[in-house]
Amino acid sequence: MTARSKNIKVITGNTAAAYAVLRCRPDVVSAYPITPQSELVEQLAKFHADGLLDCEYVAVEGENSAQNVACAAVMAGGRAFTATSSYGLVYMYDTMLQTSGYRAPLVMVNVNREPPGIHAVYSGQQDMICTRDSGWIQIVVENCQEILDTIIMSYRLAEDYDIQLPVMVNYDGYYLSFLAESVDIPEQEDVDRFLAPLKEQPQRMKLVAGAGTGCGSHGIGMGFVEYRKKHMAAMERSKELWDKIDQDFKNEFGRGYGGQIESYRCDDADIVLVATGSAVGTARTVIDAKREQGIKVGLVKLRFFRPFPVEKLCHILKGKKAIGVLDRSICFGWNCGPVFQEVCALTRHIGIMPMLSFIDGLANMDITKEHISGMVDEIYKASQNKPYQELTWLP
Amino acid sequence: MGLKKEEKYIYKYEACWSDGNNPLLCLNTGDWRTSRPVINNEICNGCGICMTFCPPQCISIKDDYFLINLGFCKGCGICAKECPKKAITMTQEGDYADDCKI
Amino acid sequence: MAEKLNKLPKVTEYFCDEDQFSPGNACCPGCIMELNLRLVSKIMGKDSILLGTPGCSAPTIHGQNDRAWHKHSYYACVMTGVASSATGLARYYKKAGIDATIVCHTGDGCAQDIGIQTISGAAERNENIIYICYDNEGYMNTGVQRSSATPYGAATSTTPVGLKSIGKTTNSKNMPMIMAMHDIPYVATATLSHLEDYAKKLTKAKEMVKQGFVYLHVFCPCTVGWKVKPDSSITVCRAAVQSNYFPLWEVGNGAYRITQPVAKPKPINEMLKLIGKFNHLKDQEISVLQQQSDNRFSILQALCSIRA
Ligand SMILES: Cc1ncc(C[n+]2csc(CCOP(=O)(O)OP(=O)(O)O)c2C)c(N)n1
Ligand code: SF4
Repeated sequence: MTARSKNIKVITGNTAAAYAVLRCRPDVVSAYPITPQSELVEQLAKFHADGLLDCEYVAVEGENSAQNVACAAVMAGGRAFTATSSYGLVYMYDTMLQTSGYRAPLVMVNVNREPPGIHAVYSGQQDMICTRDSGWIQIVVENCQEILDTIIMSYRLAEDYDIQLPVMVNYDGYYLSFLAESVDIPEQEDVDRFLAPLKEQPQRMKLVAGAGTGCGSHGIGMGFVEYRKKHMAAMERSKELWDKIDQDFKNEFGRGYGGQIESYRCDDADIVLVATGSAVGTARTVIDAKREQGIKVGLVKLRFFRPFPVEKLCHILKGKKAIGVLDRSICFGWNCGPVFQEVCALTRHIGIMPMLSFIDGLANMDITKEHISGMVDEIYKASQNKPYQELTWLP
Repeated sequence: MGLKKEEKYIYKYEACWSDGNNPLLCLNTGDWRTSRPVINNEICNGCGICMTFCPPQCISIKDDYFLINLGFCKGCGICAKECPKKAITMTQEGDYADDCKI
Repeated sequence: MAEKLNKLPKVTEYFCDEDQFSPGNACCPGCIMELNLRLVSKIMGKDSILLGTPGCSAPTIHGQNDRAWHKHSYYACVMTGVASSATGLARYYKKAGIDATIVCHTGDGCAQDIGIQTISGAAERNENIIYICYDNEGYMNTGVQRSSATPYGAATSTTPVGLKSIGKTTNSKNMPMIMAMHDIPYVATATLSHLEDYAKKLTKAKEMVKQGFVYLHVFCPCTVGWKVKPDSSITVCRAAVQSNYFPLWEVGNGAYRITQPVAKPKPINEMLKLIGKFNHLKDQEISVLQQQSDNRFSILQALCSIRA
């Protein structure tokens, strides 16, 4: 560990994200306010106004433009940042497909909030689920410190010459966006050093006036197929690299998150609960309590949602007696949670075992210790070959 | 599991980039033509109006005359219509069938 | 003869570069949107960056796989994001200290309908970009549907003429005026029958973009969609100017000016009869169009008189 850590502040998740962006020195920041992300945009505007953040701050007229500005700035060769939530995310969806198709290494924050349909200005991960096939790397984080650290790591991943993909960092609205925690804000020179390896890499393609480079040519026939294949291959490569970046970060700053997933007391566990986001903190406490009662339960915190950490999960989940998955969103058409459905797809590698879907925490409903305790009991029941309920809606 | 990493690819770019220094894409738009402009150099006063209005810009100056590049002339007839001296006539492309060397 | 070739039309004096486009591209015969692109290329120069969008200019601006139709650098946008993508480029280049002329080239459907929000936003932020809208009064690339630029009475594939329909029943948007009301450094209308006038405006645009947003609205008949003979598109442009249906004007820093005043405007019918999409119109409908055109012209005249 080379970096000094001393700058501890009690700040909200949004502010932590703003500090991360400040440290990453983007060239262009474009964003449009939306609850619960607004504080982040305001904070960046303030940094800019105070002369701390030396960037072009574009106060756009809508999220669609925010995404376009950021994507174009990245394709021109710059580093850009944007942030949104819910309706904003789906409003920029057309350009998100372009951003990933152009392989623009953009980093974006999405503060999870229930998306359109039934109006809800509440937390929920459905917005992220709506965009899961957009070709973006999607990361979900658990606490304010992790927000800050993950944004910094995300630039290392997105802009890596071998990857060149946009990254969406997701954190739960309200639960994290407005939660004040003590956060260690790294020094500028330490972050500069952490991001410096990017400068030693070959230059990615950029749009240069007069050079005759054209960005966004029609993929015709095999061209289209090839770019799709390359996109998918880069996605696959990002998994290993993310683990490495996490390790590098740990070496530098003393904080690591396990890369694609973090497993907690899984090694000797019979049953495992898979969860994402802020609920993981609560789950950890419950797991500890259940262990004391003698239930051999483990916890997997999913950080990568896209690409899906297939190999890592298979390694951990193989041979377990039952698996439960906690979702803060729903998967229409499959009558379960989306992450659950993805975990089910692992059975072709890990074999068949009872799998249980829990849908909880929609629209700011708290995911309580009692809820999670109930989940663990149900998973345990399933592991004992007793009848169990495959889908449970809580509360 | 996963994709093979060593793929043989046709294109050198990771994504949809094109390079204007490669030979440009080009259609033989002359093939679309059904009528052919013919300039009467006796009447032409050299004003160059046909040249400026030609949408594919395929009229150029050759020696002392204007020359139409029939490889790309789409036969729209704007030159003939705009020529103040009426020095250009549109003739049926079929009349040149004998010129085709197949 | 060499002597006579010396007096080439004046428009050529404004060219600062060769035409960068491939000689054979996919525009229909007689489509003057192609002429427009080539003119823009010559006057803006090779180093300008073109932004395009789905539409008839897309097959000409955006390449295929690793090959291009021209030697400009270009950036392909979604229809909703042209002015905002241009903003992204302009802002990054500004931050990086790079000099670049950024030229958006889209149809009216993009500029006035689906993309109007981003244009308006970019204009309000006064970004340093040039936006050229070629106005062919409809969505031509998707098969000649109506747009907000389609005039009253015009037949299109979504405003067809029928027993109970005379074509489009509402007026078009006065887009150049909408842009002028954004108080941006420079707005102008132009058309391809008046090439020298247009060339001057393009040259001016290149200068004015240093101060901020520049919007050019170019009247650009579509031979296929308007049912105009391929050789007549320039004639239609001229008739539109001479009937004050499409007056040529500019506004720079608040001063309005008609650049090609017409001494004796012709009745609008002179233009309409050249265009197939208006063929079905009766006198009554024609007078509605005439009235609308007169109204717009008098507003323009009033604006021009403010500082005159
Ligand atoms: C978001 C979106 N909606 C619809 C389309 C389909 N589309 C392609 S071209 C076009 C019409 C474009 O009209 P305009 O901008 O006027 O250009 P023109 O075709 O007239 O040159 C449309 C609607 C699209 N590409 N993107
Ligand atoms: S459809 Fe109309 S606008 Fe499009 S290329 Fe053809 S003539 Fe030009």
